[in-house]
Amino acid sequence: MTKKKKPVLTTLEREGKTLGLYMTLPAQLLLLFIVAFPLCMQLYVSLSWWGPLDGVKWYYAYESLNWFGNYGEIFSDAKFWGSLGRTFLIVAVVVPVEFLLGLGLAMLFADKFPGKRVFYSIMLMPMMIVPAVAGYMFFMLFQSSGPINDILSAISGTKVDTVWLADPDLAMISVMIADIWQWTPLMFLILLAGMVGVPEDQIKAATLLGANAWHRFWRIVLPRMKTVMIIALVIRSVECFKIFDILYVMTGGGPGVATKSISVYILDLTFKDLEWSYVAAIGLFILVALSLIAVVGIYYMQAAQKKAEA
Amino acid sequence: MPKPLHSYIWRYALILIAVGLALLPVAWMATMAFKPHTEWVTSASDLHWWPHQETWGNFEYIFTGQTEAVTVSHERTAGKPILASLVTSLLGTLIAVVAGTLGAYAVSRFKVGGNLPLGVLQLRLFPPLAVMIPVMIMWAFLGAMDTWWGLSLIYGIVTLPFAFWLMKTFFDEVPREIEEAALVEGCSWFRVFWKVTLPMVKEALASTALFVFILNWSDYVIALLLTRKEWVTIPVYMNSLSSAMSGQMYGAKAALGLIAALPPVIFGIAIQKYLVRGLTFGALKQ
Repeated sequence: MTKKKKPVLTTLEREGKTLGLYMTLPAQLLLLFIVAFPLCMQLYVSLSWWGPLDGVKWYYAYESLNWFGNYGEIFSDAKFWGSLGRTFLIVAVVVPVEFLLGLGLAMLFADKFPGKRVFYSIMLMPMMIVPAVAGYMFFMLFQSSGPINDILSAISGTKVDTVWLADPDLAMISVMIADIWQWTPLMFLILLAGMVGVPEDQIKAATLLGANAWHRFWRIVLPRMKTVMIIALVIRSVECFKIFDILYVMTGGGPGVATKSISVYILDLTFKDLEWSYVAAIGLFILVALSLIAVVGIYYMQAAQKKAEA
Repeated sequence: MPKPLHSYIWRYALILIAVGLALLPVAWMATMAFKPHTEWVTSASDLHWWPHQETWGNFEYIFTGQTEAVTVSHERTAGKPILASLVTSLLGTLIAVVAGTLGAYAVSRFKVGGNLPLGVLQLRLFPPLAVMIPVMIMWAFLGAMDTWWGLSLIYGIVTLPFAFWLMKTFFDEVPREIEEAALVEGCSWFRVFWKVTLPMVKEALASTALFVFILNWSDYVIALLLTRKEWVTIPVYMNSLSSAMSGQMYGAKAALGLIAALPPVIFGIAIQKYLVRGLTFGALKQ
């Protein structure tokens, strides 16, 4: 029976492969159109002094060729490193806070309890809100005559009229709070999914053996959630590095440069300074740096996996 | 094992605090949308959550450009931006889901496509602003700036990774036996895909489409870069609701924000089951 079937399947397989190639065509074309070609273009433009108002078409950018001048400029561009530093600061504060809050929430939601479904749906709502709209919501909340000051006044008993978004440090904190509000649910969602995946009989067995809740969590649940945690942290860090919408709507990168993230810096260069070839260079620089981090990260994770298996 | 009562009280107290914090900003915007002009900006002493005089004036303002008590009228109404958001999000979703589904099936079944899976994934790694210069040059060259199709096309590409990876995990889960049975009956591969496999993942396909729609609808930065006037989407238009003349149009913006917030929240709740899978590119299946 199986011997008879085999040649039929191989013809089918060949047909399948041909069909498969056609089926991947749309996605491949999109990638070619938006990744491969633009990247070459970006590299080309980044090697010149070209700008959109030069009156020269971009393909004549070689007329103002300056090779790696733009890349050299990056290293002495204090504003660039400042924005990069602020972006990393946001990631370094916001992601761990979201992670811990999400983990705590996931622990609260791990067991069944009446009303869980409704509360769960409400908890997910912040991340469904359009980020730009969320930014506007927090812009309203943090006004000096806004509800946050009102609540703080009610709690402290004295009139609080902090001007949140006009103070460099407080503006940064406000942006962080907004981001934490929006994305803690993502951490919560992913971590809860990981927590539910822990086999129940193991927990029961541990309980019977006398392990208390803390031990059960620390020794059984946590080790099994390691992969989930890494996924949550990586995804959130990557997304947080791109932070733009919430921040830009709330503060526009200000006051001054206090909340200027790398994305806002690039936007300003693009539209205010119109230094497109320099922006192209910065973009490629970030691209290469992130790719290197990704490659190193994948390498370490694979090495750790092999170690664990051995 | 019965749990002591106080542990329940603690849990509910903490959950209620969390839920309250999650709701508070949305609640402020929702009530602001129904506040009349005089209640938009309040000094801290008479700040109130519920409007004293509920009004539909803010909605009237964004759709008609004027309402009583607001002296500065607005030329551009919210109708066109809402339409623009709808059209570009829908078309972008169509592009992403069609290309993603076809590609995902091919990669899942026939192991073709080479580095396509990683290729689409890396699209998500980089900040859009870092790679937008060539796109803006191309769009200007093609005459795609500020057009419905230009924005739709880029949305389709940007959300392709999600559509691709989601559908791939769904196709991976479809049992091969059913497809093989149809093949033995003499169906061609494409017929199998079209008539057997696709109907089986119908629900998953719909969820993927909704998920991708939410992402497209939520975009701000791409529309900011690639539209000027005609096809600005809701978030970009929202910024125009404040000017030196009118100041911040709190109520009007809140009304628009409420409209913008509704579709994703409703769709998001509808596809709750697949959210984890979608947001982790299928790495976690819950």
